[in-house]
Amino acid sequence: MKKLALLLLLIAFSVALIAETVTLEYWMWDPSIKDKVEKAIAKFEETHPNIKVNLTVMEPKNYWPKMRTLAFTKKLPDVFNMSSGYLEEWAKNKFLLDLTNYVENDLDKDKFFFNLFEAGKRISGTDRYYAIPFALVVTVLYYNKDAFDEAGIPYPDENWTWDDFLDAAKRLTKDKDGDGEIDQWGFWFYGRYAHVESWIYANGGRLINRETMRFEPDENALEALKFLVSLVKEHKVAPMPKEMKGIRQQDVFPRGLAAMWVDGSWNIENNRKIIGDKFRWGIAPVPVGPHGSKDVAYGWPDFVAISATTKHPKEAWEFAKFIAGEGLTLDMYMAGKIPSYKALTMSEEFDEVGKQPVEKGKVLRELASRKLLNSFTMGWSEWRGYGAAESMGLNGLIDAVLNGEMAFDEMLDQAYKNVNRVLKRYYK
Amino acid sequence: MKKGFSWYKPWHGWIFLIPTLIGLFVFRIGPIIFAFFMSFTDWNIMLQPTWIGLDNYKELFTDPNFYQILLNTFEFSLIYVTGTMVFGLLLAVLVNSKIKGIKFFRTAYFTPVVTSAVAVGIIWSWILSPKYGLLNVILEKWFGVTPPSWLGDAKWALPTVAFVQTWKMMGYYMIIYLAGLQNIPSHLYEAARIDGASKFQSFWRITLPLLSPTTFFAFTIAIIDSFRNFEIIYTMTQGGPQYASTTLVYSVYVNAFVFYRMGYASAVAYVLLGVVGLITWINFLLKKYWVQRIY
Amino acid sequence: MKFVSNVFLYILLSAIAVIMVFPFLWMVINSFNSEENIFRIPPTLIPDKLFKKNMFENYVVVLRDYNFLRYALNSFIVATSAALGQIFTCSLAGFAFARMNFRGKNLIFSLLLMTMMVPVQVTIIPEFLLMMKLGWLDTFLPLIVPSFLVGSFGTFMYKEFFENVPKDLEDAAAIDGAGPFKMFFFVFFPLAKVQTVTLFIIAFMNNWNDLLRPVLYISSEKLMTITMALTQFQSEYEARWNYLLTGGVVAILPLLIVYMLLQRYVVEGMAHTGLKG
Repeated sequence: MKKLALLLLLIAFSVALIAETVTLEYWMWDPSIKDKVEKAIAKFEETHPNIKVNLTVMEPKNYWPKMRTLAFTKKLPDVFNMSSGYLEEWAKNKFLLDLTNYVENDLDKDKFFFNLFEAGKRISGTDRYYAIPFALVVTVLYYNKDAFDEAGIPYPDENWTWDDFLDAAKRLTKDKDGDGEIDQWGFWFYGRYAHVESWIYANGGRLINRETMRFEPDENALEALKFLVSLVKEHKVAPMPKEMKGIRQQDVFPRGLAAMWVDGSWNIENNRKIIGDKFRWGIAPVPVGPHGSKDVAYGWPDFVAISATTKHPKEAWEFAKFIAGEGLTLDMYMAGKIPSYKALTMSEEFDEVGKQPVEKGKVLRELASRKLLNSFTMGWSEWRGYGAAESMGLNGLIDAVLNGEMAFDEMLDQAYKNVNRVLKRYYK
Repeated sequence: MKKGFSWYKPWHGWIFLIPTLIGLFVFRIGPIIFAFFMSFTDWNIMLQPTWIGLDNYKELFTDPNFYQILLNTFEFSLIYVTGTMVFGLLLAVLVNSKIKGIKFFRTAYFTPVVTSAVAVGIIWSWILSPKYGLLNVILEKWFGVTPPSWLGDAKWALPTVAFVQTWKMMGYYMIIYLAGLQNIPSHLYEAARIDGASKFQSFWRITLPLLSPTTFFAFTIAIIDSFRNFEIIYTMTQGGPQYASTTLVYSVYVNAFVFYRMGYASAVAYVLLGVVGLITWINFLLKKYWVQRIY
Repeated sequence: MKFVSNVFLYILLSAIAVIMVFPFLWMVINSFNSEENIFRIPPTLIPDKLFKKNMFENYVVVLRDYNFLRYALNSFIVATSAALGQIFTCSLAGFAFARMNFRGKNLIFSLLLMTMMVPVQVTIIPEFLLMMKLGWLDTFLPLIVPSFLVGSFGTFMYKEFFENVPKDLEDAAAIDGAGPFKMFFFVFFPLAKVQTVTLFIIAFMNNWNDLLRPVLYISSEKLMTITMALTQFQSEYEARWNYLLTGGVVAILPLLIVYMLLQRYVVEGMAHTGLKG
C-alpha cells in the first residue's frame, strides 16, 4: 500500500514537473547565424529551466510563404521574426499578440532605442505595440575618400546640403582614361526604394498621405524626385540605370564605378568584401534637402513578434524580450545593422576599430536616435516594386524616366493611377 | 485482323493505369481544381479566402499591361520553340556521329541543361552587360557597332532572355532527338547510299519523315516548356524594364509569392492554361497531317 | 578526304562545346576563387586559389562544414526513387494508351497532358495543404510519391514510342499466348531501352533540381536536399558566392555523371531489337 502511494506521488510529481515545462517554437530567417542563435537559446534555457525553445531557420525567400501558410493553418510558432514590410498586415489581421501591456510594464525601456518601438507602432498603423525591434537599418551616403582627396573636396558630414552634394558630384564625374567614356560617375542610383526615399525624407517630404492612405507626394517629395532625375539628365553626374545592367547594383560603388552612393547600411559588409583595401571609403548621413531637417532618418527595424494564438504568452514574452535584446551578441549582426539593445550599439565593439568605414559607430549611432520614417504600407511590394517585382511599380516608372523612355509628368500620372489602384485594395 | 480489334480487354487498360490514376487525381488534379476555385477568390494565404466571382478575371483583362504580357509570352514561346527544335535537331545529328570522343561532346552540350538557371543568368548578364560585357566589347572593338543594352532596353529585353533560355535548353531537345534518331533503322541509310543518295538527301527524305513522331513529341513538349520561363527572367531582368520581359508565368509567380494574391495569380495561371491548352489541342488535331508512323 | 572532314567536324564540335560549357566552366573556375575575386570587373580568368595551398578550401568548407555530402546523398535517394517510379508508372500507362482501347482513354490522356501546363506556383499551396493533411510533412514522401504514381512527360514519351511498334510483333506474341502483362514486360518494355534511359535522366534531373518542394516540405536539417542546402548561402541581403558556386558545382556533378554513364545506352542502338528487315 505504501509502495503504491509512493509510486502515485512520484507520478504526480513528475507529471507536475513535466506539465511545468513549456516548449516554445521560435522561427528566424537568418541561416548564417544559426549556431550563434542556438548558443543564445542555450543560455536562455539555463536561466529559465522550465522553458525549452525549438529553433527553425529558413532564408527569407522561403520563410514568408511558409509563415503565411502556418498562419492560415493556425500553426504559427510562438515567437518569430517579423519585418517592417509585413508588420501592418500581420498586426491588423490579428496574428500578432498585442504586447502593449508587456512593453509598458515589463520592459526596461532605457535599455533599448525606444524610438524603434515607436517606429514599430507607426508602421503597424495602430496605436499598440505588436513587436519588439531587435535591429535597425538606415540608409547612408557612401563616399569614396580617395576620389574625394583626388578632387580636393572635403568629406561629407551631417551638415551637407544638396548643393554641396551636387557640386561634389560634378567634380567627381571623370573620364579617367580619355576614351570619351566616363569611368567614374559622381553618383549612382535608380528607382529603388532605398535610393529614392532617402532623398525624399531628407527633404521633409512624403509619398503617402497617411490620413487618406493614398499616393500623394507633396511638393518636397516632387522636388526630391526632380532633383534626382536632374542628376542623370541635366547634370550628367549619374548614369542611366540601363548602362549598369549586368553589374549587381551593390557592386557599382565598391568597384569604383561611382564615387558616391546612397543605400542601406547593411551594404557595409559587401563593401568591405569587395573593396578590401583598394581604396578608403566612409559613410555620412544622407545630405539634407532645402526643406529638410537633421532629425529624421529613413530607416526601419526588424522585429521579433509573438503569435496571437500562443498557448504560453508569458513565457513567449520572456523569450522574445531576451532574443531581441540581452540574449544577442554583436557577432549576430551583419555589419551595418544596428542593434536596438543599447548596450550593444554603445559598446566599443560596435565601432569595429580598424575596419572601414572608420566613422561607422558615430554615424550609425546618431542616425539610430533620429525619428524614423519609411514608406511601408500594405501591398508595398506591389506598388513600390520590390524584389522580383522590381521592374514593376514605382521603381520601374522612375527607371523609365531615368532611361529616357518616359517624361517625368507622364510617370507621375501613371504613378498616381497605379499606386492608388493597389492602395485602394488594402485601404478602402 | 479487323480494324478496331484489340488483343486487350478494356479493363486491362484500367489496371495498367492504376498508379497513374491515383497520382493524377489525388496529387495533380486535386490541387489544380483547388486552384481553379482559388481564381474566383481573394486569398492572401493567411486569411480565409473570400469569394469574389469573376473579379480577378475582370481585373486581369482590363489591366493595361495584360496584353503586353500576353504578347511577350507568345514572342518568348515562338523564339524558344523554334530555337530548341532547330538547334536540338542539329546538335543531335552532329553528336550522332561515331567518331572518337563524341561522348565528351554529348555531355558538354548537356551541361547548360543541368546548370542552374541562376548561374546561367548571371554569366549571360555579364556577357551582355553594356559596359564590360564580352559581347559588346567584341561588337564595338571588332565591328565598330554600338550595341544596345541587351537586358536594359525595352525592345531587346525579351528576345534576349528568350535566347538565353533557348541556349540553355538546346541540349535537352538534343537528347530527345537523339533517342528518336536511334529508332531509325540503319539499313535504310545503307540502301539509300547504295542508290546514290547524298547525305543531305538521306536526311531530308529518310531522317526527317521518320523522325516525325519524335518531332511531334519534342514540339508538344517545347510548347508546354516554353511557358516555364520564370527562373531565367527572375535572374536576368525581373520582368523589366517595366513589363517588357514579363511573361504570364512570371506574373503568376510575382502575384503569388511577392504580392500574395493567390486568387489573382490563379486566374492568370488559368488564362495561361487556356492559351497553352488551346495551342496543344490544335497541335494534336493537326498531328495526323504530318506525323508518320515508322512502320 | 575523310580526315579533313573529320578535322572540320572536331573543330565545329569544339566551337559549339565552348559556347555550351562556359557557364559551368565559370562555376568551376570560381570554386577556386576567394569571394572578392568573383565579381571583379573586368572578370578575371585565373582564380586566385588555383595551385596554391588552399586550393580546395571552398570544397572542404562546403562538403565538410556545410554537410553537402549528406545532402547529396539525400538528393540522390529521392531523385533515384522518383526516377525509377516514373519509369514504372509511365511505361505501364504509355503502353495502355498506345495499344489498348477503352472508354475515356483520350480524356484521361488529355487530363494528364493538361496537368503539365499549370504553373507549379499556383498548385503548390493546395498541394502543401494536401500533404499536411496526409501527415507527410518533413518526410521524403511528398518528393517521391507523386512522381512514383504519375508522370505526364514520361507517359507521353512512352505512348509515342509504343504507338510506333509494328502490329505484327504484337500479333505474333499474342498468338503465342502472351497476355497483356507478358506482352508489356517481355515484348514492349524491352524495346524501349532508349526511352527508359532518357526518362531516367530527365526525371532524375528534374527531381534533383527541384527547390520549391523540398523547401516547403522539409524542415529537419538531416533530410535537406542539395538544392535546399545551396540556399543557405543566400541570406537576406547577401550571398556567399564562393560557396554558392562551389556548392553549385557539387550539385551539378552528379547529374553530369549520371548522364555520362547512361548516355551510351541511349545510343547503343537498335542492334538487337528485331525491328529491322
